[in-house]
Amino acid sequence: MKHSRWLGVALIVALSIMLGPFLIIFFASFEPTSTLRFPPTGFTLFWFRKVLSMSMFQKSLVLSLRIALVASLLSLLLGIPVAYATSRYSFKGKRLIELIVTSPAIVPGMVAGLALLRFFVLMRVFSVETTLLIGHTAIVLPYAVRSVLSSLTNLPVSIEEAANSLGSHPVRTFFLIVLPNIKVGVISAFIMCFITSFNNVPISLFLSGPGVNTLPIVMMTYMEYYYNPSIAALSTLLIGLTLAIVLLAQKLLGVSKLV
Amino acid sequence: MPCLAFLIAFFMVPLFVTFFESVYQTGKGWVVYRYLDFFRQKLSRTVYVRSVLMSLSVTIVALLIGYPAAMAVISVRSDSLKSLLMTLLVFPIMTNPVARTFSWLAVLGREGLINNLLLSLRIIDSPVRLLYTRGAVFVGLLQLFLPLMVISLVSALENLPKDVPLAARSLGANSFKLFTKIYLPLTSEGIVTGSTLVFTGCITAYVTPAVLGGSRVLMLSTLLYQKASVTLDWTMATVIAVIMFLSTLAVNILSRAFSTLGVRK
Repeated sequence: MKHSRWLGVALIVALSIMLGPFLIIFFASFEPTSTLRFPPTGFTLFWFRKVLSMSMFQKSLVLSLRIALVASLLSLLLGIPVAYATSRYSFKGKRLIELIVTSPAIVPGMVAGLALLRFFVLMRVFSVETTLLIGHTAIVLPYAVRSVLSSLTNLPVSIEEAANSLGSHPVRTFFLIVLPNIKVGVISAFIMCFITSFNNVPISLFLSGPGVNTLPIVMMTYMEYYYNPSIAALSTLLIGLTLAIVLLAQKLLGVSKLV
Repeated sequence: MPCLAFLIAFFMVPLFVTFFESVYQTGKGWVVYRYLDFFRQKLSRTVYVRSVLMSLSVTIVALLIGYPAAMAVISVRSDSLKSLLMTLLVFPIMTNPVARTFSWLAVLGREGLINNLLLSLRIIDSPVRLLYTRGAVFVGLLQLFLPLMVISLVSALENLPKDVPLAARSLGANSFKLFTKIYLPLTSEGIVTGSTLVFTGCITAYVTPAVLGGSRVLMLSTLLYQKASVTLDWTMATVIAVIMFLSTLAVNILSRAFSTLGVRK
């Protein structure tokens, strides 16, 4: 087609808008002076060492990882039964259940964060960290349910029926037959939940307090006061880590499973 | 089921109570004046209009760049190149938004790529301020949401049977007709899905307007945060939150209405 050259140009424009800044931040993180600059005037690993040794980043990284891990596991624990029930049984109020489960994906994060802050933290029902965990679990739940649901839909019901008719208890069938077959869906759900929670800003923005700040929030606060390449170095590390996870997931699961 | 109990107790109830507090006052009953105030005040009205216009323009530009880009992805024959392209589209979505937005500081900052380039070409004599402008927020949001648009369009184009465009061609349709009569109507659902994702994403995004717009280019989200955390004006913060929620809900409902309409057709 004679237009294919224009399509290619559009693709290159799109890719450079999406990925170009990543390359620039990569080079800017080796800048030896203490301003954020591109092109860099030299080469140093100072900012990488600095950012890795700062306790505020270390502490917030640990908190972010812990919240992401617990929220993802919790959302799978809560989400798998719902996904199983909605995929295998039809019952009254199924639409309503689906609506409730997807609601955290529809409500803007900031709105949810504000509501959780006012309802739980300011009324001293839960601590900030517990509320943070609740909020993160709620917002990653729709991803868990969706991903598990799509692999359940692809699994023929006849396999379970065969197991059940041969005398296996439905619970036993679930753990021995269904779960191993939807392994890929569960793993990609976990990855998706973990990344979503780890990257979340809008919920964590309101649910932060003394000693309870997730990494993205600490990065944003730090940026307000210091204009040096340390956040560039940290961003480069995060971008590299994400790329590694995406490539690994693509190799193991196929990239289509993640989105 | 524990999942529903969890979501209702820890998510729906706090939301409803918070919303309720913004429209109900003990002693006065139901009140709407807070919402009227939001639109009466010049600042909040400007911010709302700016947020909507900004989200709309990002959506339109994302569509204009994203559609031909998605067609290019579809037309790639080699499977490995196609899966590499899909990975490149997914990767930015998975990347921390703070890191993604921070990247723009090295592009648009005083000593960033653009200023240094313009200085070395002697187009300007001293660095110009590119940060904390509407343009900065615009490119930041475009970078953030363009992948979502392209992915939605790629999956819409993949569902389009390959022989339909060929048939139209052989029946004498020119490129313009082929695009307006075949591609656009048959991928309309993908267009609507992508646009909805981009628009609602833009109107609720916090990091990009906060880092690249600051208090000079306030958006709905940054105004909400300012009211809640700086001035501790909880009532106004809740009002903004409800308006933000209703705006995204309206767009979602419109888009759903459109796709059911499309199915019926």
